[in-house]
Amino acid sequence: MHALKIQNVEKTYGKVNVLKGIDIEIEPGQFLILVGPSGCGKSTLLNMIAGLEEVTNGNIFIGDRDVTHLDPKDRDIAMVFQSYALYPNMTVRQNISFGLEIRKTEKSEQQVIVDKVSKLLQIEPLLDRKPKQLSGGQRQRVAMGRALARDPSIFLFDEPLSNLDAKLRVEMRSEIKELHQRVGTTIVYVTHDQIEAMTLGDVIAVMKDGEIQQMGSPQEIYDNPRNQFVAGFMGSPSMNFIPCQIEKVNGVMQIELESAGASHKMLIKQTIQGLESYAGKKVILGIRPEQITQQGEDKVDSAMLDCAVEIIEPTGPDTQITARINGVRTICRIHPTAECQLDKLMPLMLDMSKVVFFDPETQMRIY
Amino acid sequence: MSINRVLIYSLLGFVALIYLLPLVVMLITSLKDLDEIRTGTLLSLPQSLNFDAWGKAWGTACTGVSCEGLKGYFWNSVLIVVPAVVISTILGALNGYVLTKWKFKGSDLFFGMLLIGTMIPFQVILLPMARTLGFLGLSGTTSGLIMVHVIYGLAFTTLFFRNYYISIPNELVNAARIDGAGFWLIFWRIIIPVSIPIIVVSVIWQFTQIWNDFLFGVVYSSGDSQPITVALNNLVNTSTGIKEYNVDMAAAIIAALPTLLVYVVAGKYFVKGLTAGAVKG
Repeated sequence: MHALKIQNVEKTYGKVNVLKGIDIEIEPGQFLILVGPSGCGKSTLLNMIAGLEEVTNGNIFIGDRDVTHLDPKDRDIAMVFQSYALYPNMTVRQNISFGLEIRKTEKSEQQVIVDKVSKLLQIEPLLDRKPKQLSGGQRQRVAMGRALARDPSIFLFDEPLSNLDAKLRVEMRSEIKELHQRVGTTIVYVTHDQIEAMTLGDVIAVMKDGEIQQMGSPQEIYDNPRNQFVAGFMGSPSMNFIPCQIEKVNGVMQIELESAGASHKMLIKQTIQGLESYAGKKVILGIRPEQITQQGEDKVDSAMLDCAVEIIEPTGPDTQITARINGVRTICRIHPTAECQLDKLMPLMLDMSKVVFFDPETQMRIY
Repeated sequence: MSINRVLIYSLLGFVALIYLLPLVVMLITSLKDLDEIRTGTLLSLPQSLNFDAWGKAWGTACTGVSCEGLKGYFWNSVLIVVPAVVISTILGALNGYVLTKWKFKGSDLFFGMLLIGTMIPFQVILLPMARTLGFLGLSGTTSGLIMVHVIYGLAFTTLFFRNYYISIPNELVNAARIDGAGFWLIFWRIIIPVSIPIIVVSVIWQFTQIWNDFLFGVVYSSGDSQPITVALNNLVNTSTGIKEYNVDMAAAIIAALPTLLVYVVAGKYFVKGLTAGAVKG
């Protein structure tokens, strides 16, 4: 049983191919995130699920119904927009009940639903205000209330937090998560913010140029990116990409890293079948900042490298330092108490058990 | 108050005075009797408030052969202006709504062509429109004249509403569509309630244009259905020996009063609405 099934969906505007065959299937109650840089087609896809844009090719199913050519009102969906799109001439109460009124829900029942929703979102004191008398966060809540009142089978969120300031965004993010845990309705959520994607989603679809690059759980996508784009897009600061030479010495694969004028050989302590054929060639080493730490903890799979520190950026819980490895600026995340000084050599540990490799030509992961 | 301020305000006051002078002359002339007009100067004040000329202009002055004043023609104008303003404003709002929120293939081209309509002078359409009215059997009727004003005004009202609606976010319409509202419901419940400023602009513009119109009135109406502008012209041009300046002036003020009133009542919104549409257009 699926809540939403998108089957080979395409969208073209004239000759421009905006979506090139999208396939997605999610279970009821799942929180799907569509994430990608602007222009990747994620909002277009959401609008097509909503029925606001025509599907050029392919099919969309909500539950068991083929909704590909249905009107938005017949799809049993509700949507929260980036600009909230509250009706400016109506009070909060009227905004929430507008959809119910159109669907000819009885007045008394409308009242019950509005009360329930406003209690859930804690907007009871605002019910008689107009949207322009509300703050950004309150508008956001009302927009969610309007969606909730309809009790649809799928909620669609179109970058709902991008108009809020940083602090409020974090607050509303956890509220949305909590709401989902409580209500349990299927959600499709569009964002360009990878932290929102990681924190909110059960399933993340990373999109680029109208194609899904990878789909999976947040941890799966973070730990096992399928290509260099996904690896670089998810995670902040981004994964470091270091071009390096790979060799096979005595049956063991090793890479050569140059840092602070000295060259080091690093053993790869994972079995990566595909890497064999790259012996003697260049590959891209992908290593996340938290996989390069200060010396100290005794990690079996770690390798030591002396690095010259170029930038020190304390963030509080940890400190980011920038060093140059193989001529590439590499960000490392170290403990704030670790000793480091500008332009001094610092021994850093590379966790070689988690590093990934990419083909420099295709940018695909080497498995 | 600085010396600059004093200078600016006295200059403004002076210019306003010059600008208002014709109206003042009209007003005091209309309150004099003919003797006073002959003996006094243009600016000498009337000896008493004498509304005889106003009564005559309204009720008994001759406009051509009939001598029933402007009364009937004033109501003619009202009967022409009210439907023409209402219809052209509603249609303009609908056009603007479709051209911004329900775009169709070629809608921008359509709007471009409609814009040309704002640049066509009255005189150009006189003959083709006369033929059209004849073809429709509406020659010389009030409904025919209303139709001419609606069609001619549509280009302007559409332009106003389209430029206003383009600044209303499309997401608002999308939200209403998902809520289950259709084309008309969205128009009446969401769009019209936020359109008050531009409705005021459209009404003032159309009211002024149609009330003050002389050319269409004189060409497309006849006899008893003529608007007040045509009657005023006839009244001034009908002479029975002596020129009754006081009656002419009173008649002219009567003819101008409704537009004056509309500006006083709604003028504030006019500027606001015009700029609101213009900035985002």
